Amino acid sequence: MSNVLRPYLAAVRSTLTAALTLEDFSSQIVERHNKPEVEVGGSKEVLLNPLTISRNENERVLIEPSINSIRLSIKIKQADEIERILCHKFTRFMMQRAESFIVLRRKPVKGYDISFLITNHHTDSMLKHKIVDFIIQFMEEVDKEISEMKLSLNARARVVAESYLSAFNS
Amino acid sequence: MAAPEVFNLAQVPITSHSFNADRTRVAVSLTSNDVQIFDRHGNDWKPTEVLSEHDKQITSIDWAPNSNRIVTSAQDRNAYVWQQTPDPQTGHLIWKPTLVLLRINRAATYVKWSPNEDKFAVASGARAIAICSFDPEGDWWVSRLLKKPIRSTVLSVDWHPNNVLLAAGSADMKARVFSAYIKDVDKRPAPSVWGEKLPFNTICGEYASPSGGWVHSVGFSPSGDVLAFASHDSTINIVYPGGPAIHTIRMTTLPLVTLAWTSEESIVAAGHDCQPFVFSGNAQSGWQLVGSLDDPNANKASGGSRSGFGGAPSPVGRLQSSAFNTFRNADSRGISSSPGSPISGPGGSGESELFTIHQNTITNIRAYESVGAGQVTKVSTSGVDGKLVVWDVSNVTPVSAGGLAGKMGNLSLR
Amino acid sequence: MDAFRKIDIDQYDEDVLPDSELFPTDPRDPSTLLTEAKQKAAAIRNNLSKGDVAGALDIVLSDPPYGPGVDEAKNLTLQTLVTILNTTKSTDIPPILKSLSQDSQDTLMKYLYKGMALPGWGDVSGSVLLGWHEKLTEVAGTGCIVRAMTDRRLV
Repeated sequence: MSNVLRPYLAAVRSTLTAALTLEDFSSQIVERHNKPEVEVGGSKEVLLNPLTISRNENERVLIEPSINSIRLSIKIKQADEIERILCHKFTRFMMQRAESFIVLRRKPVKGYDISFLITNHHTDSMLKHKIVDFIIQFMEEVDKEISEMKLSLNARARVVAESYLSAFNS
Repeated sequence: MAAPEVFNLAQVPITSHSFNADRTRVAVSLTSNDVQIFDRHGNDWKPTEVLSEHDKQITSIDWAPNSNRIVTSAQDRNAYVWQQTPDPQTGHLIWKPTLVLLRINRAATYVKWSPNEDKFAVASGARAIAICSFDPEGDWWVSRLLKKPIRSTVLSVDWHPNNVLLAAGSADMKARVFSAYIKDVDKRPAPSVWGEKLPFNTICGEYASPSGGWVHSVGFSPSGDVLAFASHDSTINIVYPGGPAIHTIRMTTLPLVTLAWTSEESIVAAGHDCQPFVFSGNAQSGWQLVGSLDDPNANKASGGSRSGFGGAPSPVGRLQSSAFNTFRNADSRGISSSPGSPISGPGGSGESELFTIHQNTITNIRAYESVGAGQVTKVSTSGVDGKLVVWDVSNVTPVSAGGLAGKMGNLSLR
Repeated sequence: MDAFRKIDIDQYDEDVLPDSELFPTDPRDPSTLLTEAKQKAAAIRNNLSKGDVAGALDIVLSDPPYGPGVDEAKNLTLQTLVTILNTTKSTDIPPILKSLSQDSQDTLMKYLYKGMALPGWGDVSGSVLLGWHEKLTEVAGTGCIVRAMTDRRLV
């Protein structure tokens, strides 16, 4: 793993660990409701300061904590047009199947590519440090995945071009 | 130096637990609408009775030791007092619920009997605390509301030993001390460090958390002269109202959510770090972190075999094979030791592992056994991982503040 | 015609906590804060020329400006801090961090996150901030990060 990526993931890991200190909290706006406060945003005192961790302008993570839920948004590295398209397709594919990923949000927060919503129900039913592991692993994999896809796309383009042009080569 | 007793009550979070007077029974709520009562059989707890009346998740349970009554609060805005009465037909003892007229319109979050067990306080999300006392004429529990100046959901309350003063911690980042004096119930309280004249809703003290975290837990010392509160900015604060002097301990670890005094000069507190910490000190020399009741390093050495079974004769004791351990670890600790699982360097996706007995947040800590007035020898904790653990408070593993920071740093960076 | 439906009725709830009470304002005057920040910047240049990084950090992290309406002083303080962070060798960081008081550690953590949250970068380098963040977490623990989240005295 590159030396630059390591402190970035370490910072995300420690910040996420600190933010995943959730508890059950019933709405104080609407009676008998229990909603993720970070999404409702109605009671300011149960929201905490959002924190950003960034490696550079194009790779950053936003963590918005609250008393019973946190929202984690990732901006994935997109160096060129191909990566932008691949990233869009990839995140869209995942978010359309959000319920299978449990902690995935159906729509990313504005300015980011993909968002997770982790509530106290998730931290109750799953081990907290394992959720952190999952997010970190996801961040590692997504970069790898996109660069691999880009490579295979380029390779395929080369093959296609070669076989197309070979017709004129006689 | 007895090892902690560990009981796996459930696979789901225990929202609250409360023992009866002789600790042969425990009432717990397993993230549901029902209260489950367990009876102790040797080293095991067997579920016996279910108290169901609430129609939303239960938030808190308190079992009065002397009058043997249980009070429960839930997110359905109600509280019930449960009393054992003979069934008119069969003659068996059954738990009979009495609805309490709380007059709050949001969730009830926390409930606690007063020391004399003639009233109880219900904290709520309606920015109010209901002080409930029994009205024999109407044969019901009536409430009076403490409202001003609470600005957000009240997260916890604790009674002063004089049965009149009440401490409350709330999400508006303040811990407060109120008078909950009710004329028909209470005798005029003796003057204390908190004040002399104490009509209902007098504010005897208001203390903000140092870095603006919600106040998760409050507690009076056994004498009632000192107040401790733990807040979400990872601090625990001890207030001497006379000074007024406030001792703040900033933790290098995650926030504490629950605390219990074990003597006039020591506190056990636990929270998101999954282990109970011990603090000690007094007004003159200040307060500091002494250590932890759990010893993650020892657990690490023994491969976590202690956790989950606690030395109790387990029916699967002879199955301590490596295959068994693999599956048990995967189930209870989330460790996949399948061959070829990616193990990368620090900061990568290498698996992190917790070596504490509790594998998730501890949400509740209570005095379990005590000798004399206020000298607690054992405390019980329950948490999100469904475990109930009884700890000997004298069994402290020292941690130095720096060492802890290093350890937790490693843990979070692994 | 449905304009009444858009009225935010919650603002009339007298129990609700308004921003003004939730986010404390710095008791000091904005212009005093700005002069203070400038004085600090000068003092720190002096310290840095002598190579006294710990002393410089101590000055910039003591009594930082916070609250709404003092953006100028805040930005100047951040700039000064970033200069210090950029000029420190990475091997020198851990001993310097250990010598800081808990207050300063908490404040430094807040500035690190503020630096990383800046949309345009200028002379802030992500890897420098991340390096400091990692070492600060080792010294001050996750509790320090929690306090950066909870403390509403925004720097």
